[in-house]
Amino acid sequence: MAEQGAGAFTPQLFYRDPLAALRWLEAAFGFETSLVVTDPSGAVGHAAMTFEGGEIHIGGEFAAPDLIGPAAMKSPASLGGAGSQFVRVSLAQGLDAHCERARAAGARITQDPKDQFYGSRVYRALDLEGHVWTFEQPIAEVPLEDMARASGLSIRTKL
Amino acid sequence: MSDPIRPTFSSGVYYKDPRAALKWLEQAFGFETVMVVENPDGTIGHSEMRFGDGLIMIGREWDAKHQSPASIGGINTQALHVQVPAGIDACFERAKAAGASVLREPADQFYGDRTFMVADPEGHVWSFGQVLKVMSHAEMEAAEPGVTIKDRL
Repeated sequence: MAEQGAGAFTPQLFYRDPLAALRWLEAAFGFETSLVVTDPSGAVGHAAMTFEGGEIHIGGEFAAPDLIGPAAMKSPASLGGAGSQFVRVSLAQGLDAHCERARAAGARITQDPKDQFYGSRVYRALDLEGHVWTFEQPIAEVPLEDMARASGLSIRTKL
Repeated sequence: MSDPIRPTFSSGVYYKDPRAALKWLEQAFGFETVMVVENPDGTIGHSEMRFGDGLIMIGREWDAKHQSPASIGGINTQALHVQVPAGIDACFERAKAAGASVLREPADQFYGDRTFMVADPEGHVWSFGQVLKVMSHAEMEAAEPGVTIKDRL
């Protein structure tokens, strides 16, 4: 159900309590709920949020051998904080203020805003159920060779 | 970085073997590797792939909190949905031929998309969708009795 123009990829995040997650992500990160699909029992089956032209999907924990075989979707809160993916959010501006808003709403800030060698200012946070979020704001255009020199890493543009 | 356009949201996906993952995602899904950052020991520290106007990052497991599904009993805490403009059945055949495990064959959904779902060799779940018919929320609710659809919380 991704809207046209939201990008080819839509991250889907699984929560024990998707309704609480929607409220929290609105308050802490400023995302806007754009779609909530509720099943006959009143549970949130699927939801979408938008932010600065991008879209993410929010769902509940899910396992259904008859529908999706052996795969299972769970919250990091059910795995001692482990996760299989994280989401990077690119902000045009206001990274430090965004971090303070998130902190005030209860986000656990695991790295305070800091300039990185690759030309972005970055902070990292855990949400209410332990999903890892990285927020970044571009601050300088850094050529790949300068990034490589600054970091001691090898950087290529193909495999 | 030098990306011309960076999407607001881009996911980072953890693998035990990120180099094998990059190769497999190129072959199975047609994603394009656009950046590979290697540590001095030759391991991949960070990489980026593009598909259409989307961007994802492929990385390694780097502590107990960042794990491939292959290391946590096949569980996904996040997954990626990939929207294609056309050719979803051909996408499915290509993925299957490359060894994707099929979780759901292509099928038309009540909300107007045709979708399928597969898992990659380390157990990350990928769903693909193509819009067949743009539908209003009222049309979707009529097509799936019992479901309620709202555009706000």
